[in-house]
Amino acid sequence: MPPRDKSPRKVAGPLTFQAMLFRLSEFWARQGCVIALPYDVEVGAGTMCPETFLRVLGPEPWRVAYVQPSRRPADGRYGENPNRLLKHTQMQVILKPPPERIQDVYLESLGALGIDIRHHDIRFEEDNWEAPTLGAWGIGWQVMLDGLEITQFTYFQQSGGVDLEPISVELTYGLERIAAFLQNVEDVYEVRWNETVTYGDMRRTEELEFSVYDFESAGAATCRKLLDLYEAEAARLLDEYPRNRSEEQDKAPKRDVAMISSITLSQQRFPLRKVYDLCLKCSHLFNILDARGAISVTERVALIARVRKLACEVSAIYLERQPAAEASA
Amino acid sequence: MGERVQAALSEARLLPANDEPPIRESALGTYSTPRRLVIHVPVLLAQQPDKIEEIVGPPVKVAVDAEGDYTRAAESFAQKNSVPLKDLTRVITPKGEYLALRKTTRGRPAREILPEILPQAILGLTFPKSMYWTEKSAPRFVRPIRWVLAVLGEGKQAKPVDFEILGVKSGDFTFGHRAKSARPLRVAGFMDYTKKLAQAHVEIDPARRRASFIREAQALVEKASLKIVQDEWLADWIANSTEWPRPMLGGFEERFLHLPREILITVMRDHQKYFAVEDGQGNLRPHFVAVLNMDSDARGLIRQGHERVLTARFRDAEFFWNADQKKTLLERGLLLHTITFQSGLGSYANKVARMAKVARVIFEALQEKKLVAPHEWENVFSAVDLCKADLTTQMVQEFPELQGVVGGLYAKAQGRSDEVATAIYDHYLPLGPEGQSPRTLVGALVSLADKLDSVVAGFAVEHQPTSSGDPFALRRQGNGIIKVLLEFKISISLWSLIQKFHEYLAGHAEEGILTEVPWSRTLPAVHEFFRERLEYYLENIRCFRYDTVRAVLAAAASWDNPLDATERVEALESLRGGEDFEAVCAAAKRIRNILTKSATVADWRPGEVDTSLLKEPQEIELDQAYRGIAGEVARYREERQYRQALEAISTLRPAVDRFFDKVLVMAEDREIRQNRLRLLKKLDELFAGIADFAEIAQKQ
Repeated sequence: MPPRDKSPRKVAGPLTFQAMLFRLSEFWARQGCVIALPYDVEVGAGTMCPETFLRVLGPEPWRVAYVQPSRRPADGRYGENPNRLLKHTQMQVILKPPPERIQDVYLESLGALGIDIRHHDIRFEEDNWEAPTLGAWGIGWQVMLDGLEITQFTYFQQSGGVDLEPISVELTYGLERIAAFLQNVEDVYEVRWNETVTYGDMRRTEELEFSVYDFESAGAATCRKLLDLYEAEAARLLDEYPRNRSEEQDKAPKRDVAMISSITLSQQRFPLRKVYDLCLKCSHLFNILDARGAISVTERVALIARVRKLACEVSAIYLERQPAAEASA
Repeated sequence: MGERVQAALSEARLLPANDEPPIRESALGTYSTPRRLVIHVPVLLAQQPDKIEEIVGPPVKVAVDAEGDYTRAAESFAQKNSVPLKDLTRVITPKGEYLALRKTTRGRPAREILPEILPQAILGLTFPKSMYWTEKSAPRFVRPIRWVLAVLGEGKQAKPVDFEILGVKSGDFTFGHRAKSARPLRVAGFMDYTKKLAQAHVEIDPARRRASFIREAQALVEKASLKIVQDEWLADWIANSTEWPRPMLGGFEERFLHLPREILITVMRDHQKYFAVEDGQGNLRPHFVAVLNMDSDARGLIRQGHERVLTARFRDAEFFWNADQKKTLLERGLLLHTITFQSGLGSYANKVARMAKVARVIFEALQEKKLVAPHEWENVFSAVDLCKADLTTQMVQEFPELQGVVGGLYAKAQGRSDEVATAIYDHYLPLGPEGQSPRTLVGALVSLADKLDSVVAGFAVEHQPTSSGDPFALRRQGNGIIKVLLEFKISISLWSLIQKFHEYLAGHAEEGILTEVPWSRTLPAVHEFFRERLEYYLENIRCFRYDTVRAVLAAAASWDNPLDATERVEALESLRGGEDFEAVCAAAKRIRNILTKSATVADWRPGEVDTSLLKEPQEIELDQAYRGIAGEVARYREERQYRQALEAISTLRPAVDRFFDKVLVMAEDREIRQNRLRLLKKLDELFAGIADFAEIAQKQ
């Protein structure tokens, strides 16, 4: 192997983990993205946050970027594996509609991290993405940097079972991998979070504890019960949502304006995002059950369908309320 | 896309018309890279040829009056086609003499036509998965179209062809390799295009890319007296995912070589798309060839990156290997009850228990025929007992494609016998009808037990394939069963095996597992399923004639021993085309027709042929011919010498021919009729022990 290394990134000093977050946030803020906060419910990916899942629906343009810790119970390795994390950090970017130069803009964002694409092997490899629990899929690439997968690049086509118009582009950076690459360390726990604190200092214990729970302590029966409860609560709320009965409304526009506006009002007050949170809870519990190997092939299909049903109903209501929200804005 | 463009150009009459079809086909060049699809039309007409049509008008007797002047009908015909009356001519048709005119449509220049036909030809292309990006109702493509280059002509004559696709205006420019040039490159014709792109590090021809990196990669490793582990799939994949491939030799720490070859290659090939490298003896060496999508790695940064990633991947694998060894496969077997197999079918522990039973039934059948010795059961049992334990390992969770393989490797590492380890390693085989079967008989028995359980238990909980799908891949399992039975020459009645398994299942239903199974529906469905699988296998994989296969499967002799049925098919197929045999088949069909259609119940009296009632010399001859071979045929059949049996049957041909020539089966006299029918029935039964000849399609 050659002596390592005379890389230009040494000149500026390798970026710390937090400096990377700053650089990417600044870069995308300059592209007109709102820099949102991480979501506070467990998610398997940044895609599942409402800032993506809901905002890609409907016609309004939207640009957002945020850091999102994402939990995948099955990937837990008790903090022992140098590359594998139960909770990893994504930088999630949504551009709706996608700019025509989006691939170039993305490559420029790598430049912002000090990666000079003239000296690296960057590939866009076909990789179409699908999230069955969200009724979402898209067409895209995984971006490889010298053989390392660093970003998922997706043109969304559907979310919550709804065809998107316009479509969005989603960029999901795997930050730990990029950090280990930039800092040239073999073990993710050795990544410097800042000048004095390592990634291991920040996260190792958490990895261990969650791994123990997800693989050993989680009671499968309790998790199933919780999933049922969250689902039932979501279903109860959905039942209470006052649906548009457009025909009846058309028939009685003059007779009962008060009734219609009260429907609209209670539609606007409907706790849709809570229903969605409950749906996310179900999805996470599904992942825990899956990590325990407690789900069979057929049951998996049925459970995915249950979560997807919630997600699809949420998107339908979100879209139904859209015109009213616009009018009131 | 090449075909679509070719079709569009040809329809627009822009291709040289007098070319022979093969020349025209080879004339169009198609190329591609991950960022572009290219079509080169080397010969194109600058202008469509003029089109001359003859338009037939009204009959002369209507259009011309007695004085020879044009009538109103002629005038309106001329008017409609906007020609003066003097241009009208006459044609003779079978229906009489008609007015006609020649109409010439001037050919239009290619420059004008191309913008009309190219967008459709491009957007009409279909992909397995495509997308929209401008609006939902817009045509779809594999990825968003960002630029369109369309140039007509070469060199100084080259001119852009202007059109628009989904908001993108075509032009005479393209872009080079991403890292090489961001600015558009203006091109004048195809020669200039390939030249400029090569300067900008794009080779448009995948075949040339493939050949070049393979050649260079071989040169790279030969210097170190090594060779590349050949891999056609990988080479194609790389050729199609690069624009400017250059191989690079990388290395990894030698210590990883203690990991099994299968795991190292899976990591390199499936996950990193690297070629593995081996020495002259076929041992892996601590090197790999990655193919970059760029020219050079002057700073060595890229190699460093690839080596880092591979090291991380190998470390993962090493970590899994070490972590997995903390529990033996035997201990892991105890965890299988926590892993659900399929709903209604319990856990993998339940599955393994069922597999042990099926394996035992097959083993006993083989033991009866002295094909296995009693002590070999121990190996079969251990292999069944351990074969699913690797599902609890991190290695299989990480590399699901290595299930079974990992179990086999671990079994060996944990001191199990080669017999057991190999059987575990192979027990998912064959993966497809063309795939390799297990290498050993023990492996074959485990494979059969696994698949039979999946099929029979699967049908019991209504997991069977339907016309719309086969979510549990039971057809594949069924094909695997047939293939293994045939390749290992396991002569066994599948049906009695399934019935024994059914008795066991029905007697061992546990709570929530295989309770309340409608067996009276399930078993016939399983039976039919295997008949279909055998038919599929013999027709599509072994490529026997469909009617040969059908004749055997329809025979009175059951097909449920697939090996036996296959031997009959082979024998039958080997005689097909022989004149005597085809004639006997025709006679068999005739006999069947007489027995089932002409004869009524009243004509039928069972019993032996009464020789005293045989009057005609031809029927006496046939009866004697039958008696002459019946015993022989029965003996051959008993010994499964089907070819000899069929050859004996073929000797009946002259007697059969003469019989049908001269003898009326449905004779007036009832007793004679009944007797003749009994003779035919004997022949029918003789044939049916091997195949139903009536199914053989007759030559026209």
